[in-house]
Order: sequence, then structure tokens, then C-alpha cells
Amino acid sequence: MAGFFERIVHLDRRWIFLFVLLSVAAPIIVPIGLPVDETAPTRAAFDFIESLHDGDVVLISFDYGPSSAPENDPMAEAVMRQCALKKLRFVVCALYPLGALGLANNVVAEIEGEFPDLRYGVDYANLGYKDGAAAVMRRMGEDIAGAFPTDVKGTPLSQIPIMKGVHDLRQVKLVFTAATGLIGEWWITQVHPQVGVPVIIGPTAVSAPKYYAFINSGQIVGMLGGMKGAAEFENLLRERYPQMEKFYKTTRAFTATKGNDAQTVLHTVILLFLLLGNIAYIRHRAAAARGKA
Amino acid sequence: MHLPHIGIWIAAFLTISSLSFLYKDNPFFRFAESLFAGVSLGYYVGIVLNQTLMPNLIAPMLEDFGQNWDLVVPGILGVLLYMRYAPKIGWVSRYALAIYVTYYIGLDFTRRLHGEVMPQLARAIQPLASLDSTTLYSLVYIVGVFSVLVYFFFSKEQGPITGRISRLGIWFLMISFGAAFGFTVMGRVALLIGRLNFLILDWIYPMIGLR
Repeated sequence: MAGFFERIVHLDRRWIFLFVLLSVAAPIIVPIGLPVDETAPTRAAFDFIESLHDGDVVLISFDYGPSSAPENDPMAEAVMRQCALKKLRFVVCALYPLGALGLANNVVAEIEGEFPDLRYGVDYANLGYKDGAAAVMRRMGEDIAGAFPTDVKGTPLSQIPIMKGVHDLRQVKLVFTAATGLIGEWWITQVHPQVGVPVIIGPTAVSAPKYYAFINSGQIVGMLGGMKGAAEFENLLRERYPQMEKFYKTTRAFTATKGNDAQTVLHTVILLFLLLGNIAYIRHRAAAARGKA
Repeated sequence: MHLPHIGIWIAAFLTISSLSFLYKDNPFFRFAESLFAGVSLGYYVGIVLNQTLMPNLIAPMLEDFGQNWDLVVPGILGVLLYMRYAPKIGWVSRYALAIYVTYYIGLDFTRRLHGEVMPQLARAIQPLASLDSTTLYSLVYIVGVFSVLVYFFFSKEQGPITGRISRLGIWFLMISFGAAFGFTVMGRVALLIGRLNFLILDWIYPMIGLR
């Protein structure tokens, strides 16, 4: 046993990397289907969208890039699915420079495939990307067409049916921002006080802790924190709309629920290594002290 | 069997090249790193040109200059920023920079005050009239805010009482750092899951005829 812990102290860190790799790969190859418990911020986000009425307009802002897509993509997809199932109209925009537009286009294309009845321009629209996020938000609070004169296809906003009666953010019933970095925060600290539009945020797990303060202060309606939050939201969606069960069960596409399996397995492995590492270190230090004495 | 297309192969090669750094530094990792930096910059230039400059500046002026002549001003300010690369007239860029800075200070000032300081302060001031879980939670909240503020009060040397309060503040900070670190691990793991998911489901499975 002493030899084992001695080896742990001097273990090449690349063995740990290998364990991490195997612990993540295994649940992807053989999904376990571990349960996902909902937290209050995700439940609040889901319930708020459920409380909206047919035809209400939701703005979905892609404020992240490919580097955090595994966390943010499932959130954006799930919220869009809920909008489509609830017959809400949604307008998509992208404010993150590196790749948000491409991700927005991909997610929109995926939802178009899943809901062939959705009509572009009537049920949803894609405004594309605009540089200078804070200034764009400021402008959208006064005049959306001032910030986005055309949609992503180059059609003037005045010619898009969904934008009739949606002059600025005051006519939008909800802003959902899937975000990495500061852009998501600006929807809360700048747009919400400016126009009063309710905001739900889907931050990366790294940013999630700071948004709890905004939940407590009532500045955001709800939050989908990282991949776990996205998995919780998918769970709620499956419970409320049983037709989604088939999709989430059968698709080979990536979902946060599947990612949650890998998260849980790897967290267990990390905890084991933490425990082993600390025991080995304490024993090593005690042995060194005895050697000195 | 449906072999993955060339884009998937390139993405798989770059993913493995990037992850290869975990074994040790190597030319494949260097190549992937440099390529990523270059492509990111090129993409950024292209997207700003097509999605911002064209529809917001160039197209409106070409279509109806009479109605959009005022766009000349931001256009010139943008060009002025690049004057810093001409040493003799580099000082001109400072005017554009000054306008940018003042605009964002104004924007950020109100954002911080109305969007963060005031609502968070309002949340910190809660009535303690009833004894329930909300009151207890508010008490913890207030004690946390107060002790952390004392810890960051550097204008006066800490005495025995303020020292103890600031020590409590350190505990609150450590707990919040622990929570933040836990979330950070979760976030980084999510990225690894995304990459391995791609390698397994989009690259390996089609190769062995599983998809």
C-alpha cells in the first residue's frame, strides 16, 4: 500500500490525462442516462417562457463562439425548440464576433429541419451579426432596424412580417442570451434597466456564479448555468412536451443530457484523484518528517 | 459505410493536434495554434466588413447619400484610428480614440450604476421583521457583503475587531472562489466533452459504419 501511494506522489500527470480522456469518452460511447435534477434558476427560465402567449416575440442573442459551443449550443437549441412548440415567434441575432453568426446559422438550420412548418420571416427571423455589442444593444433599445437595417439575407427589416410592430426592444417579450464573457451581462445591466425587457441568460459554467447575484436582485428571470443548466432545461422540455422525448432519446446528435453523463463520471474521477493525491501527499510528508527525526 | 467529408477530417486533425500538447509540445500543436490565430483574425475582418461596414456604412451612403451623409463622420473617425501607423500624423488618431473612450465611459458609467450598484444595493437592504428562511438568507447576505467590504477597506489599519470581521470576509471570499473554481472545472470539462463528442460521433463512428 505504501508503495502505491509513493507511486501516486510521483505519478506522471499524463496518466491522469489518459484517465480523464477515458472517463469522458466512455459515457459518450455508452450513454448511461444518469438523472438530472432541476435547479430553481432553470425552472424559473422554463416557466417564464411557458407563461408567454402565442405570437409573442422572443429575441435570442448568440453571444458566444465555437470555444464554448458545447455548453451554449444545447441551450440555444432547447430555447428555440420551446419557442417553436409554444408557437412563439423568435428573432435571432449574434453579437459575439468570433463565430457567433456561424453558430446561429447552424442552430437555426437545425431547428428548421426539426420544425418544417416554421416559416422564415413570419415565425422567425435571423438578423445576423453586428459589431460593437454594447452600442448595438443601446440602439436596439430605441430602434432595432437602426442597429440591424437588414436581416442576414440582406432583406430590409421593414419587409419582414415578423418585424411588423416590433420597432424596438420594448415590443419584445423576452431576451434570451446564450453567452460567454461580458456580452450576456450587458443585456442584464444595460438593456434591462433601459427598456425593462425580461432577460434569461445561458452563461458558460465559468461565468455562472456571478449571475446568481442578478437572480437574487430580480434583474434576470432565470438562468441555464453551463452544460448542467442546459441538461436541466432539456429535461423540463421533455417532461412538458413528450414528443421531444423521442428526439432526445434517439438522436445521435449531441445534447447536454448526454454531456451530463460524461460530466458526472469525470467529476467522480477528479474527486477520486483529489482524495488519492491528498492522502499520498500527507503520507509522503509524514514519512519525510519521520526520516528527518 | 459513409466516410466523413474532408471538413470533418481537417477538424479532427486540428483537434488531435491541439490536444497533443497534453503529451508534450510538438510541431502539430504549433501549426494548429498558429492556424487558429490567423483564421480567427481573417474571419473577424471579413465578418466586420460584410456584416457591419457594408450594411451600416457603405451601402446606405451609396444608395442615398443625401439621406445618409452624416455617416461620413463615423466613417472618418474609423479611418482616423489607422493614422497611428503613419508616424508623422499619428496624433490625429487620438481624436477618434478620445471620442470612443468618452462614449464608452458614459455608457459604462450608467450601466454600472443602474445595472449593478443600485439593484445590488437595493437587494442587500432587506427588512428583518419576520423570522423565516428568507430572513436568515438575507442576514447571511448582509454579513457577507459587510465583512468582505471591511476586508477591502485599506484606508485604516485593522484593529482587533475589524481584523476578525475581515477574517470572516476572507472565508466568504474563499467559499465563493471555491464555487467559481468548481464551475470553471465543469466548464472546461464541457469543452472536452464537446471535442470528444465530435471525434467519436462525427469522425470515428462514420468511419466504422456506425452512422
